[in-house]
Amino acid sequence: MKIYSCCGTDSITKKYACPKCGESNFTEKEVSDKGTVYSYTKIHIAPAEFADIAPYNVVLVDLDEAAAKVTTRILEDVAIGDPVKLSYIENDAYVYEKIKNTSAVT
Amino acid sequence: MTNVYVHGIGMTKFGNLSSSLKELLLEASVEALNDAGRPKIDAVFVGNFMGGSISNQEILGALIANDLGLGYIPSTKVEGACASGGIAFRQGILGILSGEYETVLIAGVEKMKHASTPDVTQAINAAMDTSSTEKHAGLTFPGFFGVLANRYFYETGATKEHLARVALKNRENGVRNPLAQFPKPTSLEEILAARMITDPLGLFDCSPMTDGAAAIVISRKKSPIHVRSSSQVSGPTQMQDAVDLLSIPAIGESGRIAYEKAGVGPEDIDVVEIHDCFSMTEIIATEELGFFNRLEGWKAVEEGRTKVTGDKPVNTSGGLLSRGHPIGATGIAQLYQLVRQLRGNAANQVANNPRLALAQNLGGTGSYSTVHILERV
Repeated sequence: MKIYSCCGTDSITKKYACPKCGESNFTEKEVSDKGTVYSYTKIHIAPAEFADIAPYNVVLVDLDEAAAKVTTRILEDVAIGDPVKLSYIENDAYVYEKIKNTSAVT
Repeated sequence: MTNVYVHGIGMTKFGNLSSSLKELLLEASVEALNDAGRPKIDAVFVGNFMGGSISNQEILGALIANDLGLGYIPSTKVEGACASGGIAFRQGILGILSGEYETVLIAGVEKMKHASTPDVTQAINAAMDTSSTEKHAGLTFPGFFGVLANRYFYETGATKEHLARVALKNRENGVRNPLAQFPKPTSLEEILAARMITDPLGLFDCSPMTDGAAAIVISRKKSPIHVRSSSQVSGPTQMQDAVDLLSIPAIGESGRIAYEKAGVGPEDIDVVEIHDCFSMTEIIATEELGFFNRLEGWKAVEEGRTKVTGDKPVNTSGGLLSRGHPIGATGIAQLYQLVRQLRGNAANQVANNPRLALAQNLGGTGSYSTVHILERV
């Protein structure tokens, strides 16, 4: 996941200029796509182009390695705080999935 | 202080109407012109969002000027998503302040009920950054406020019942407003049991599709209603760019500027119309405008402080939730209700002769916000 940073603010969207300094000198860095669920909604009433997949979850994910969030679609139901990661990109949408609990019982 | 005064107001019934976009526009405009005593109009501004996409009708300004016989005057359509009406009103004020015009007619209109819900939802999505990954993820406007609401619940003691109380209050107000879309009373139980639109927002938490128009005449000439201040700001256009999801900075900043220009504070405001496109939005807006502490707006709802009889009456018209939300008309309909409150003849008239009234109109997911403070002089 690419992050654009300037004046202490991280974002996954690239702007022409930083609102604080007005410059276009964004630092680009590559971070892990892993994060936690910041909030979510299940959309039952969808616009025409998404009506065939409704209901679906739109989830705002707080990235682990940047002070930035990314809006994703997740097929399963989630709760705030759930760890999630990128599953695939489809039609320019980030489709995420829950990270299964892999900590083996010892 | 703008030294611009309100001379006339007009508004159609809101709801599912057989009249065309143009007929709605003319009906509200004629009522406002008559209310103002038929002054000479120097310019027309129209707030409208989807006349082109849903009704295939543009040139709304020229339609008014021509059909109402206003002459060869300038007319302009203004688009700012759901804030189109508030922005159009502000353009009228600025036109007078520039010295170019003495008296201006501003109208807002939308016709939505003839189209299907998926088609209207699609057209409304034009008010998102349509090239963004979040639009491709399937985010919608109710979806944005659903995400916000779930986080608000997580960080506060608020529940779906607090949202329902906003919807119930605005329905109770709407039932007593003959121009409102929804005349039918409801109950907390019915609101909580209603079908889900976008979790946790149910049917009653979402403003409806509505046909309707509203209009207002303002002038440099004096009247008993003074436009004490006008503000407009732009904000983030994407949810994933919000620094704080539980803040809509465009609302807060437009409020701060309007208070500063008016020389008043939130404690001075007697009656309020704010942009309750969703029940959650009303709570956030009451916090952003300084009526209640941050993350405590839900408590004010619980205590009944925003009812007609409360210390800060919000959306005495029924708000977008129950008066209805014909997108381009909403910003003007808010002013219509506030002018009537200041004149003392409103539906749900608040007690003790209100003197200062505030209207806040929101566009997109916080992309635009306008605030206007009116004063009885």
